[in-house]
Amino acid sequence: MSTVQSPARRPSIRRRLSSRSWRRTVAFYTFIAPWLIGFVLLTVLPLVLGFLTSLTNYDGLNLANIKFVGLRNYTRAFADIDTRFSLGRTLTWSALNMPIWMILAFILALLLNRDVKGQGVFRTLYYLPSVIPVVATVWVWKIFLDRNYGLLNAIISLFRPGTAIPWLSTHALLGLTAIAVWSGLGWGMVVFLAGLQGIPDELVQAARIDGANSWQVFRHVTIPLMTPVIFFVLVNGLISSFQQLVLPLLLAPTGMNVPPPRSSYLYMIHTYRQIFVYQRFGYGTALLWLLFIVIMIVTLLVFRTERYWVYSEAAVGEEGR
Amino acid sequence: MMVGETRFRFRKVMQRPASYAILILVTCLISLPVVWFLLTALKKDIEYLSYPIRILPEVAQWENYVKVFTTGGFSFSKYAWHSLFLALSFSILTSFTSAMGGFAFARFQVPGRDRLFTIIIALLIIPAIVTVIPQFIVFSRLRLTNTYWPWILWGLTASPFHIFLFRQFFLSFPSELEDAAEVDGCGPFRVFWSIFLPNAKAALATSFIFNFTWVWGDYFTPMIYLSDAKTTLAVKLATSYLDPKGHALYTITLAACVVYTLPLIVMFFLGQKYILKGMVTSGLKG
Repeated sequence: MSTVQSPARRPSIRRRLSSRSWRRTVAFYTFIAPWLIGFVLLTVLPLVLGFLTSLTNYDGLNLANIKFVGLRNYTRAFADIDTRFSLGRTLTWSALNMPIWMILAFILALLLNRDVKGQGVFRTLYYLPSVIPVVATVWVWKIFLDRNYGLLNAIISLFRPGTAIPWLSTHALLGLTAIAVWSGLGWGMVVFLAGLQGIPDELVQAARIDGANSWQVFRHVTIPLMTPVIFFVLVNGLISSFQQLVLPLLLAPTGMNVPPPRSSYLYMIHTYRQIFVYQRFGYGTALLWLLFIVIMIVTLLVFRTERYWVYSEAAVGEEGR
Repeated sequence: MMVGETRFRFRKVMQRPASYAILILVTCLISLPVVWFLLTALKKDIEYLSYPIRILPEVAQWENYVKVFTTGGFSFSKYAWHSLFLALSFSILTSFTSAMGGFAFARFQVPGRDRLFTIIIALLIIPAIVTVIPQFIVFSRLRLTNTYWPWILWGLTASPFHIFLFRQFFLSFPSELEDAAEVDGCGPFRVFWSIFLPNAKAALATSFIFNFTWVWGDYFTPMIYLSDAKTTLAVKLATSYLDPKGHALYTITLAACVVYTLPLIVMFFLGQKYILKGMVTSGLKG
């Protein structure tokens, strides 16, 4: 009896073990089920449908008139003067916005990284603009940059009487940059500051003992050690600046049927108008996919440059060998 | 060494006033637009629209803040309620479901986990814009636009960013916690509910504040999804208040924006240590 039972017990233990791991697998998938279902239904499905839509002439209403047009929406995008113009605007805007934003955020982080009392208070103050919701931010800057009644032109008028620079129309890209930089400073600053605080003190001390002055420490210790963080901020900033839509939309003088000034006619504004103003869903989703491809290419290019300027301990170790 | 250190400290003392001067100057520069904004919100429209400009209001128009609730042809409180309802329901739901996801990714070694986690990481980088509009098309075909269901569904389906946040947080929990609970016969759901969740207040606060701030401030989603009667404060305040004749009431609109922003400022001050820490976790370990 006992000899019969003992081999039977072994599989039962194994079964119990495997049933434990089985139960944990079930538990894992139950816990992530909300996200997983959402990922399939609210991300993958729309992506696929979005791509299929981009191959049709869908107008948002009639499924009866829908026609498969192949890649025509894509070829049309290349021929569309407005599309090329708006892509150019987005590139200009990124080239203007990104360096100013990153440099200012870095300077703020450097200022806060000193050993002064009340550092936390200033960090909070500098972060506050990022807390203000976008609609209120745009009002703040609309009245600050107003051509006639704005404070900025009034201040400039002290030196050059009668200044009335149209920051929000002819030079809308400048106004836009000011707003985006101002409200984005907080995030960049906090991330840079965390990076700066991660630089080991011994390295700075060692450089000082070797006779390095502040600039040399900054140039040869701080900057190289910060490159991974700079890289991270750069990639994130580029991706979001290519998708900028809400700021120019809100700055547009009246309503959504009037396009924003040519200066801030960004790619996403163009796309948005194709879909929501002209009901060209097929063409609009094609434009979205093209932007996606552009962003991916730019991101990959940035990643390609990584090894030339981003410091990594592994690489230095290899060189040392 | 000693000499070097003394000199270092001496330089530090000398640098202090200069440091403060710079920090205060930067504070002034950054807050200048906001100060101008707050001053203008206390003016009459005629004062704001006078040229050359005047810095201070002749008499501070505190009643602008009363008029926020009484003029403009729409009910500020009604739209504030819409914003509050959407922000609260979304953030409570998504904080909870994301905590579940984060717990699963942090504490379970099961097949398929690492591949799914790669998807989470990829979703953090992939531009959101390719999904936002197609998602809208799907919801409008399901006739769920102009309802609050999309926010509930987004809340129920968690967010990759917050799953990531909770995962980082739960990774730091000692494994003895679970082992002890398991010996006592607790299943994974009990472990999550009575051990991990109660100890995750910091992460829950971070996640809640982030989500609440996002929905409260979001302009684009309610603008495309909701009709004028159902929309949120963000959309209503994007255009100015109007008097019965249809003329813009600027300074009252500005006062309304101040009232609209205030809850977020209060929330930020209450939870700032969580927020800044959460941002660094999400930023640097990604």
